[in-house]
Amino acid sequence: MKEKHSNTPAKRYGMIIDLDKCTGCGACMVGCYAENNIPFKPDETNKLDSINWIRVFKLTNHKPYPETEICYLPMPCMQCDGVGKHGHSPCVSVCPAVATDYNYDTGIISQIYTRCFGCRYCMAACPYHARKFNWWDPVWPADMEKYLSPNVSPRMRGVVEKCSFCFHRYQLAREKAYMEKRTDLAEGEYQTACADACPTKAITFGDLNNKDHAVYKLKNSPNAFRLLERLETNPKVYYLTTKKWVRKAGDNYLAHEEPETLKTRIKEHH
Amino acid sequence: MKINRRNFLSYGTALVLGGAAGSMLTPAPWKLMDDLAIWTQNWPWTPVPEDGPVSYKPSVCTLCPGGCGINVRLTGGRPVKIEGLRDYPVNNGSLCPMGFAGLQYLYNPARVISPLKREGKRGEGKWTPVSWDEAIAAVTQKLADLRAAGRPESVACITGSDHGAMDAFVSRFMTAYGSPNYIRSATAMDAMEQAIDLTQGQQGTPVFDIENADFILSFGAGLLEGWGSAGRMLNLFGNQKSAKKLIQIEPRLSDTAARATQWIAIHPGAEGALALGLAHVIIKESLYNKYFVDNFAFGFSDWVDETGRAREGFATWVKAYGPEKVSGLTGITPEKIMSLARDFAHAGKPIAISGRGNDDLPGSMDETLAIHFLNALVGNINKTGGVSALPETDYAKWPEINIDETASKGLQQARIDGAGGDEFPNTRFLINRLPGILLAAGESPIQALLVTDANPLYALADAENTKKAFDRIPFIVSFASFMDETAAFADYILPNHTHLERLQVVPATAGVARQIIGLAKPVVKPVYDTRHIGDTFINMAGALGGFVAQAFPWKNYEAFLTESMGNQWEELNQKGRIEIDHSLPDPMAFAFNTTSAKFEFYPTARSTKRQAGDSALPTFTPVPIEGDPNRFKLTLIPYDAMRLAGGDIANVPFLTKILDDTVLKKQTGFVEINPATAKKLGFKEGDSAKLATPKGEAMVRVHLFEGIMPDVIAMPRGLGHTAYSDYLSGKGTNVNALMGSVEDPTSGLDMAWGIRASLTRA
Amino acid sequence: MKETPLIPEGVKRCSKWQFSLWMAAATAVLLWGVYAMFLIWYKGLNQTNMNDAYGFALWIWADLAVIALGGGAFFSGFLTYIIAKDELKNIINFAVIIGFICYSSALLILAIDIGQPLRGWFIFWHANVHSMLTEVAFCLSCYFAVLTIEFIPLILENPRISQKPFWHHLSHNMHGIMAVFAATGVFLSFFHQGSLGGVAGVLFGRPFAYREHIFIWPWTFFLFTWSAAACGPCFTILVTWITEKITRKKLVKDNVIELLAKISGWMILTYIIAKSIDTLYWAFVTAPDRGFTLMDFYASPTYNIGILFAEIILCGFVPGLILITRKGRENKFLLMTAVVLAVVGVSLNRWVMVLQVMAVPMFSFDDWYTYVPSWQEVATTVLPVAYGIIVISLAHRYLPVFPQEKELNPID
Ligand SMILES: Nc1nc2c(c(=O)[nH]1)N[C@H]1C(S)=C(S)[C@@H](COP(=O)(O)OP(=O)(O)OC[C@H]3O[C@@H](n4cnc5c(=O)[nH]c(N)nc54)[C@H](O)[C@@H]3O)O[C@H]1N2
Ligand SMILES: Nc1nc2c(c(=O)[nH]1)N[C@H]1C(S)=C(S)[C@@H](COP(=O)(O)OP(=O)(O)OC[C@H]3O[C@@H](n4cnc5c(=O)[nH]c(N)nc54)[C@H](O)[C@@H]3O)O[C@H]1N2
Ligand code: SF4
Ligand code: SF4
Ligand code: SF4
Ligand code: SF4
Ligand code: SF4
Ligand SMILES: [Mo]
Repeated sequence: MKEKHSNTPAKRYGMIIDLDKCTGCGACMVGCYAENNIPFKPDETNKLDSINWIRVFKLTNHKPYPETEICYLPMPCMQCDGVGKHGHSPCVSVCPAVATDYNYDTGIISQIYTRCFGCRYCMAACPYHARKFNWWDPVWPADMEKYLSPNVSPRMRGVVEKCSFCFHRYQLAREKAYMEKRTDLAEGEYQTACADACPTKAITFGDLNNKDHAVYKLKNSPNAFRLLERLETNPKVYYLTTKKWVRKAGDNYLAHEEPETLKTRIKEHH
Repeated sequence: MKINRRNFLSYGTALVLGGAAGSMLTPAPWKLMDDLAIWTQNWPWTPVPEDGPVSYKPSVCTLCPGGCGINVRLTGGRPVKIEGLRDYPVNNGSLCPMGFAGLQYLYNPARVISPLKREGKRGEGKWTPVSWDEAIAAVTQKLADLRAAGRPESVACITGSDHGAMDAFVSRFMTAYGSPNYIRSATAMDAMEQAIDLTQGQQGTPVFDIENADFILSFGAGLLEGWGSAGRMLNLFGNQKSAKKLIQIEPRLSDTAARATQWIAIHPGAEGALALGLAHVIIKESLYNKYFVDNFAFGFSDWVDETGRAREGFATWVKAYGPEKVSGLTGITPEKIMSLARDFAHAGKPIAISGRGNDDLPGSMDETLAIHFLNALVGNINKTGGVSALPETDYAKWPEINIDETASKGLQQARIDGAGGDEFPNTRFLINRLPGILLAAGESPIQALLVTDANPLYALADAENTKKAFDRIPFIVSFASFMDETAAFADYILPNHTHLERLQVVPATAGVARQIIGLAKPVVKPVYDTRHIGDTFINMAGALGGFVAQAFPWKNYEAFLTESMGNQWEELNQKGRIEIDHSLPDPMAFAFNTTSAKFEFYPTARSTKRQAGDSALPTFTPVPIEGDPNRFKLTLIPYDAMRLAGGDIANVPFLTKILDDTVLKKQTGFVEINPATAKKLGFKEGDSAKLATPKGEAMVRVHLFEGIMPDVIAMPRGLGHTAYSDYLSGKGTNVNALMGSVEDPTSGLDMAWGIRASLTRA
Repeated sequence: MKETPLIPEGVKRCSKWQFSLWMAAATAVLLWGVYAMFLIWYKGLNQTNMNDAYGFALWIWADLAVIALGGGAFFSGFLTYIIAKDELKNIINFAVIIGFICYSSALLILAIDIGQPLRGWFIFWHANVHSMLTEVAFCLSCYFAVLTIEFIPLILENPRISQKPFWHHLSHNMHGIMAVFAATGVFLSFFHQGSLGGVAGVLFGRPFAYREHIFIWPWTFFLFTWSAAACGPCFTILVTWITEKITRKKLVKDNVIELLAKISGWMILTYIIAKSIDTLYWAFVTAPDRGFTLMDFYASPTYNIGILFAEIILCGFVPGLILITRKGRENKFLLMTAVVLAVVGVSLNRWVMVLQVMAVPMFSFDDWYTYVPSWQEVATTVLPVAYGIIVISLAHRYLPVFPQEKELNPID
């Protein structure tokens, strides 16, 4: 957790996922696999050893037929800021080898595969199960190695990986801006692969600190909520939905509590 | 100083310690540590992808008939990622998950990497790789022999689609060769097309202008689950204005139903009754479009036919479908039926869409007509935001085709599947009838079968029976790119390039209101020893010689395209697409090509031979799905899912990876069951069960889901493959195999929407 | 000249063949574990039944448990060298050996547990000072070095070794400064036992584990040190008792055991009171603040409220109360029951602080996670037990571990 060392104003990249627009198609997952060289096995049905940097959950309100409703909820790494935004995310603070780190320029939590020695403490720390362990060596059958992207290094067995907010795309956009002698990035210049892939545009990505970015306004919507906010992980992934039962499913509440009445306490920490 | 044992040890220790301390002051140990750190980071068998300059190649995805624009990212000429092509008019940059997984098709372990000749028994999986020359010689020898024997009609061809230039190419081959037996796989569009043809006299691809409609009444169409062009539909959903209403009618809370403005749960198979009930309300309350009905429709009011017989019009006919009665049939309250009818009629641009799921199965003609009549009642036909038929555009100039006497004789023979014959004069293809016909005949009427773009041994109902039937065909040739079930059963495989390796003209799929013709370009050189299917057909024609060869005068498929498309080729090649607007202003739009020159509520061209009551008007008669209800107490319905490819293209690893663990667990697939039904049968979440239908049995697990109607169980299409690679084969159950086929009395198309089933403890 | 015997003077040991048979049995179990260990190193952690939800499982429990049980070494050292409870000199050797076994086992388990064993040292090389695990790694390694230093003089007391003047002197000199090492060990232990508690307690994303902080330390930091100090000596007593049963000899006088038991009893009692306060605060303040009731944490068939009862009442208050009463200590049956309960209690505490943390569902739409270890995990967890048996057997046979043995078992 190095200290901030940059002259440009710090960004806090974040994501708003509109659950009312999400159809559960899974394109974000496949888009992420393809972008980030995610491996696969013949059997991927044990979701607890299946590497997914974003996973789409299917929620139901459990009401009887035909009052039933379902809602899909895509879950990448929440890029937690932690309380006070000192990069005190649940995972970064615990990694003994600084193999995962908080980037103060972007707010993005990195993962350094070649430094990670696989103690899995970060996985125990992450309440979102966003972190995935490479239980196996990756194998690309037939000629599939040929499609691997050089932008993201394939991981070896025994290390942890997770959603990087497609950090390599940020780097490429920065490089391009630098070559063009610009110091700042336009909103669309850096987009994550899942936001790009989402065919219904349910995912909006941008700088939460920038008033001109769409995410800035969306995060303040009365329909916005974050997952497990009460843990004070301070995620940078927000969700939108008009459905109350979905908002309630996003956190844990005692019998008498309602999400709305708790809002003030759990507002984002500035 | 004497070196004794004691001081040797002391000095020795001092020396070692001193040396150690000293060397810590040199860079050596630190450098070594660092090297060690780097060494442990190496993992030699983890690939290091080669870097290179980045470029993009736009093309069109043809993994399904959707025809979405794609943009392929290459690194040093190597395709590494498929993205949506932003300004492509079909999909505006949106792709379905299958489109994104495209590179896994290119390098798939199930690819057929060279022509293959069967060794050993059919379907045994023993092959000998052969050269292209040898393969083409063997296949054409067989075809030449059958022609020499004067039996060209005994060669049949099954294709997956019939509206692209390549499909026309295959159809042309069949004509020149002399066989009428060009058979396209079934889709719901078969019924839609026929309904439009019968009522409007227009032949063409059905169009649902969802972009401009504002009220979509979907009778179970899986609009967000792969219907038509999934890329287009998802894009439309994401961009829709909140005023647009989508009403989804089906017995299961599908993903479309979940995202609809309203989900109306209906008894399965009762969609036709609801449509007639809605028509009843609309007519009774005079909510229909009088301008359209009075001026441009026939058979709405009572009429007298040419024999002088008084005939009931549709308005009188639907009096039998009052809300109370329809409520009993559908399980929807009379109030809801009435309010739905009013909402539909009052909307600005309402459209009704028939066909369950991804329009994989045609369904009943009565039902399709009844639903289509709703569009006519509101006069939303051939208009922006309405329903119409897109004529096939002749973008390619085909040279005159000459046929010899053998071919002429062959072409005069009746089609094997009975389509277009006495019984089913309005139907063009009836693949569902093939197994029955093949099994009934003494000698197989098909002596050689060519299969392109289709996987009938997986897709057709009652797999076991179908396989038996196909085994009677002495010679089967597959042109598949992948080792699918039909290819695995073939005698020869002449593998096609995959979608990223071939040049192809791609007309936009059903539903899109404009004619958009895209160009799929190869983004990579063929990875294996495969051949463009067009070139294969040119080669085969050449080897057959005579008029067949003459019909294919081009060097290769590319030459055919550039030559036959004339000056349109330039535009297509440059822009990657051509767009043709067919929309006509009213009242020209209402110039129908029927006998009455009107929209026919009474479709006079409809065959009523096998229709009870001697009327062409649609009735509601429950489809007699198979199975004794006393033995099979449940009803099994198939459903389509965006994460499963249910058509002739199957899942790649990435698609199977995104399946939920309530759809597939290890090698076992799940059936969805209502918790109340599960409780009655004593099942808990995840329990194993034996699923049985009159067509067969399978081991499954149960997934409790409140969103499925009690006593109905559902299973997705797209699992239970027996071919392909370890990444798909043997996973789950092929629901098609457990289904039966029910012939529609007037069209002959398959109208089964489910089958009776039982679930028992395993 | 007759060679100096290997076996210490004045004590009786079993015959060679009996000893060999015993060692062969232990070695067979050890080899089974070693086989599993190499399998894991060769094929990777897919040999285990851990998964992305259960990233910490049997091994981490075993690690925490052996370190807690090995706590007998530092606490006895503290009592012997710093508080100067001289009676305990009669058991300190054995406590050190047990500690040595426990800590070397802990390090071995860690080497198997990590996904990239060759990079294990990155924890030092790229250390993150904010991580509890870094603190654990440093203190654990240092304390293991201390234990080794404490163990060496005892090894040098083997008659055949100590006949060499160099070793003899070395042993003598080391004994002289042992108090310094003991003090260092106590200090290191205090921190790493606490840090191990911190490992779970800092997980603010895991309400089952998370505890409020005092300065930078969560409550569990203190509770872990406290419980290790309290229950570690019980493990020393238990192993001594087992050794006595197997060798069919009395090795340590009752007053020594009873003193240790008495101190342990008071430690357990005070610990369990603190633990109860901690539990109440957690149940009524910390967890509800995050939307959880206490019963949410115990809503699975495996992890039901019985676990909490077992940990606090049955394996906490009960042994504590037995051991602080003279009658309880003097009654062999009650004493050993209390000792066993205390050992089970601290192990159970480590179990829930590792495995239950992983099992509790985080989302309302999530279910309890389950985990059953693979045979490879079981084998590698049994490995240290076999290894411990071998080390203790060798030490007992060849080293003068128990100063009172001669007195208690005079040979003719
Ligand atoms: N019971 C039941 N019946 C079904 C279905 C079902 O799910 N259940 N599915 C139905 C569906 S949805 C479909 S799509 C069909 C079959 O399948 P379709 O989906 O209509 O066929 P496509 O996938 O569009 O075509 C892609 C394939 O076409 C080949 N190909 C590529 N280019 C060309 C070309 O230019 N010309 C030709 N001829 N071939 C080309 C390639 O080999 C590739 O494998 O089966 C239908 N029948
Ligand atoms: N994720 C996902 N996406 C999917 C699928 C999936 O399983 N998963 N399934 C895919 C599949 S297989 C399908 S079929 C699609 C559904 O999409 P469809 O639009 O049903 O595709 P096809 O069935 O191939 O349609 C062929 C078209 O040719 C038209 N046609 C037939 N004969 C004529 C003719 O003579 N003239 C003219 N002009 N037109 C004619 C038919 O009306 C039909 O519209 O969805 C696809 N998308
Ligand atoms: S979601 Fe998990 S992995 Fe991502 S930053 Fe938060 S704690 Fe870390
Ligand atoms: S598994 Fe890797 S990233 Fe996670 S805490 Fe351990 S070393 Fe750090
Ligand atoms: S942001 Fe990038 S890495 Fe993260 S889930 Fe989306 S595509 Fe994957
Ligand atoms: S791609 Fe978009 S619509 Fe599809 S599952 Fe992901 S977020 Fe939902
Ligand atoms: S809808 Fe069809 S054409 Fe479009 S991306 Fe998906 S598979 Fe390709
Ligand atoms: Mo299809």
